[in-house]
Amino acid sequence: MKIIAVTACPTGIAHTYMAAARLEAVAKNFGHEIKVETQGAMGIENKLTDTDIRQAKVAIFAIDIEIEGRERFNGVNIIQVPLQEALKNPEGIFRKIQH
Amino acid sequence: MSPNLSSTSLQFVFTCPLLAGMHARPASHFATLANSFISECTLTNLRNNNEGNAKSVLSIISLDIRQGDNCLVQINGADEQFGYTSLRNFTEHVLPTCDVPLAKSPSTKPFSLPRILQQVGVACYSGSAASPGVGRGKVVFLNSVSLSHAAISHDATDPKEELQRLKRALRNVRDNIREELTRSGSQTRDVLQAELALLDDVLFAERLAHQVNNDKSAAQAVLETGKFFADLLRHSDSEYIRERAADVEEIAAHLLSEICGKDLPKTVITLHEPSVVVADTLAPRQFLKLDRHFLKGIVLEYAGANSHALILARSYGVPAVVGVKHTKSLLSTGQAIVVDANRGLLFPELLPAVERFYAREVRTLSRQTEILKASASSPAITRDGINLDVGANASAQDEAILAFGNGADGIGLFRTEMLFMEARPPSEKEQVAVYEQVLKAASGKPVIIRTFDLGGDKAVPYLGLAPEENPFLGLRGVRLYATQRDLLQVQLRAILRASVFGDVHILIPMVSCLEEVLAFKQQLKAAKEDLRSQNTVFREDIPIGIMLEVPAAAFSLYQLRNEVDFFSVGTNDLAQYFFAADRGNPNVSKLSNQSSPSFIRLLKRIIDEVGAADKWVGICGDMASDAKYLPLFLGLGLDEISLPVVNIPKIKSIVRTYSASACRSLVDEMLLSSDADINHLLASAEQTCSSHPLLSEELMILDSDSNNKEEAMQEFIDLLRNAGRTSDPEKLEEALWSRELVYSTGLGFGFATPHCKTDAINASSIIVLKFTQPIDWGAVDALGVRMVIGMAARATQNGGNHMQVFSVLARKLMTDDFRKQLLAIDDSATLLSYLSEQLNLGLK
Repeated sequence: MKIIAVTACPTGIAHTYMAAARLEAVAKNFGHEIKVETQGAMGIENKLTDTDIRQAKVAIFAIDIEIEGRERFNGVNIIQVPLQEALKNPEGIFRKIQH
Repeated sequence: MSPNLSSTSLQFVFTCPLLAGMHARPASHFATLANSFISECTLTNLRNNNEGNAKSVLSIISLDIRQGDNCLVQINGADEQFGYTSLRNFTEHVLPTCDVPLAKSPSTKPFSLPRILQQVGVACYSGSAASPGVGRGKVVFLNSVSLSHAAISHDATDPKEELQRLKRALRNVRDNIREELTRSGSQTRDVLQAELALLDDVLFAERLAHQVNNDKSAAQAVLETGKFFADLLRHSDSEYIRERAADVEEIAAHLLSEICGKDLPKTVITLHEPSVVVADTLAPRQFLKLDRHFLKGIVLEYAGANSHALILARSYGVPAVVGVKHTKSLLSTGQAIVVDANRGLLFPELLPAVERFYAREVRTLSRQTEILKASASSPAITRDGINLDVGANASAQDEAILAFGNGADGIGLFRTEMLFMEARPPSEKEQVAVYEQVLKAASGKPVIIRTFDLGGDKAVPYLGLAPEENPFLGLRGVRLYATQRDLLQVQLRAILRASVFGDVHILIPMVSCLEEVLAFKQQLKAAKEDLRSQNTVFREDIPIGIMLEVPAAAFSLYQLRNEVDFFSVGTNDLAQYFFAADRGNPNVSKLSNQSSPSFIRLLKRIIDEVGAADKWVGICGDMASDAKYLPLFLGLGLDEISLPVVNIPKIKSIVRTYSASACRSLVDEMLLSSDADINHLLASAEQTCSSHPLLSEELMILDSDSNNKEEAMQEFIDLLRNAGRTSDPEKLEEALWSRELVYSTGLGFGFATPHCKTDAINASSIIVLKFTQPIDWGAVDALGVRMVIGMAARATQNGGNHMQVFSVLARKLMTDDFRKQLLAIDDSATLLSYLSEQLNLGLK
C-alpha cells in the first residue's frame, strides 16, 4: 500500500524526525511503501508532491501542532494521531489502516 | 534657609551631572579642593535651598544633591579667585567623571525554589540575593554596630584632657585605617578611603570639639556627633546616602572603643568553623574583621545593595542574602543552614534533599571555576593558532598577585599613581618594595610599570600645580616630567633597582611627540648613571614603551617606533582626544564612539605601523575588557590586551573560540561599513567568527549519580553552564521544562532526549548523560532511562548545520544498533569519536 505521512512536533528538533524514522521502519515491516514529510526546525523536508498525495491510499498525520499546507490533502483519507503515538505504538497505526 | 547671597563673594551655579547624585566620592573630592584655600565656601542646593559648608564631606552629602539639581557655590575670602577657578574647573571637568555604577537594589523577583526542592517540600525563607554564591555553615549572630546601645560611663574630666583623649583616638583610628589601606585591594581601598574622609571631615571635627568644650567627655562627644550625622544621613531621600549612615556609626563606634579602651559589646567576633553570619545590619569594618576562611555566608535583615559591607562581600565573593525578616526567632546559634545567594533563599534545615541539591550545586560551581582557572593559565590561542597575550591592569601588589592566580600572561599596566596620591611622594625605598613584590609575583612574566601619570583629574598637593582652565589638555603625564625631575628620578631609580627581580618594562604616559620620548630616555640614562656610580646592579635592557592616548602620537609612529620597544593604546583617552568629546558628558558622550569606522581605522593604522617595525602593541583601556571587541582586536592583529584581573579567565576562554582569519574578513568588512553596520557585525561576530563544537567531552557525564529527572535536568543545565555556553541558566531551565511538560522526552528503550530551542545558550550543543541507575522519566514504554542524549539548539544561530545534525541524531536514536553502541561505550573520548563519525562531524 502507498502511504504518506507528515510529522511535526512543538520544537521541531527531535520528535519530528524520530517519528518519521519510526514510521518509515514500521511501514517497511508491514510491507508498505511510505513517504514521510517532516515539518521541523529546518522547515518542510522531503515534501510530498501532488503526485505523492494523489497516489496515496491514506495519509498519517503524527502531529502535535497544526501543519503547513493542510489543504493539499483535501479528499485524502487522513488518520491523525498525536505524534507520541508514532513512537509509542506505530504498529497500532498501521493495523488501523489495514482494517 | 535661603541662600545667603553676599555681594562680595564670588559665585557660580552648576548642575549635578551624576546619576548617583553627589555621593561620598565626588563630595570628598569637592571638600578636599575647598579645603585647599582659606576663603569660606558654601554650597547651596537650589532645589531644596539646603545650604552647607563645602569644606565638609558630611555637609555636602547631607544637601541631598541629585542628578539635575542646580547648585550654587559661593566663595568668600582672601584667595577667593583661586578657590573660584579651581572649583569651577572641578565641576566642569572632573565632576562628570565621578559617577559610580550603582548596584541595583536586590530584585524582588518572586521566590523561586529549585524544582527538585519544590517537589520534596522543604522549609525555606526568602530574601533578596545581594552577593552571589552558595554557602553552608553554622549560624553565628553578630550584634550590629549601634550607638544607641553604647553604654558610656565616662565622666568628663578636664576639657583639655578630654580633647587630648579625643585627638589620640582620632589619630589611632586614622593610623589603623591607613595601615589597612597599604594591604588592601582596590575595592576595600575605596571603602577605607571613604572612612578616612569622614574622620577628616571639618564638620565632624568641629562638632566633636564643640561638645568637648561644653564639658562633655570625649566618649559622649563622639556618641552625640555620630548619632547626629547618622540621623542626618538617614533622612536623605537617596538610598545611597542613607547607607552612609552606617559608615558614620561605625566610625563613631570605632572611636568609642578607642576611647573606652575596649570593643563595644560583641560587634566583632572570631569565627572558628564554617559559619553564616546573621545580623540586622553589617558595617564594613565588621565585615573586614571576619575571618574569610570561615565566613561562608551572610544573612542580613536590612541592607541596601550599595551598603559598603555588601560591596565588600561581592568583591570577596561571600554569598549574601538580605531582607530576611525575624532571623532571631527563626534561627538559633550553631544551627547548620544553607544560604543560596543566587536565588535569595535560606534553608534552616539540612534535609537530605537540600544537602544533596547544594552539594551538587557547590560541586558544579567549583568545577566551573576550576575549568576556567585551569584553562586560564594556558595561553589564549585562537582556533587557527593566533596568540593574544592577556595581561592584567593593576595598581597594588595584592592585585598583581591575584592576577597571576587568574592566569594573567603578565601585568600589562601597573599604575603607580596610587603610590603618589598621599600627602607626600613615596620614597625610593617604598617604591622598590612595591615593584619588587610585583616582579616576584610575576615569576619571570613581563611587568609593565607606567611611570606616574599625574595631573588632569589626579592632582596631588605636593606638586603645587596651579589650577588650569582645561586640565585634561594641560600639564599631565609625561608633560610634568620636565618640571618634576626629582620625582621622576626617584621613581626611575626605584624601577631600575627592582629590575633585577624580573622582566620589568617601563611605560611612559601621555606622549604626544618624539621630543618627550628623547627627554625621558635622557632622564633614564641619568638614573642609570647614578646607580652605576653607587655600584648598584640593575638590568640594562629594560624595554621602553609609550602610551598612545594623544592622536598626534598615533601619526608620529614612523619616528616613535625607532625609539621605543612597544606601545600601549589607552583607548579611553585616545577616543576622548580623537573625537574631542568627553565620555563623562552625557550631551556629547555618544560622539566618543569606539566602534565607529574612524576609530577602527585609527586602531588599524596604529597596529599596522607598529607591526611593520616588528614592535608590539597592546590595548589597556576599558575596551580591552569588553568581549564584544575581541573579534575586532583579533582581526586587526593586536598583540596584547590588558584588563581588570577578574575578567581574565573569561576573556581568555572566549579568545579560544574565535578564528582569527574569520575575524580578519570581518574587520575588512567593518572598514567599509557605517556605524550601525559595524555594531551589527560586532554583535553577530560570536556567531560568524567563533564556534563551539556541537559535541565535546566537557558536555558528557558518563557516570552520573542523578537519581531523578529533576537532578538529571539540573545536570544538563550545569554542563552547559560550566562550558560557558549559557549565561542564563534559569531561562534555559524554563525552556527545557516547558518542552518536557508537553510530554515526556523519554523515547523508550532506556533513552531520553530532553531538548529545547532558546537563545539562553550561545551555541548549539549535544549533551550526554549516562546514569549509574535507571531513572523514571515517564517514558512511552515506562522503562527507566539509562542514557540521555540532550539537544540544546540556539534559536537564532546562523550558519552551521546543527539543526541538520540534530535531525540525523534523532533518526539514528530510532535504530537498535546505534542505541546499543551508545550504551556499550564507557569512556567519553571513544563516545565522542563514535558520535562524530555517526553524525558526520569531522573531528578537529
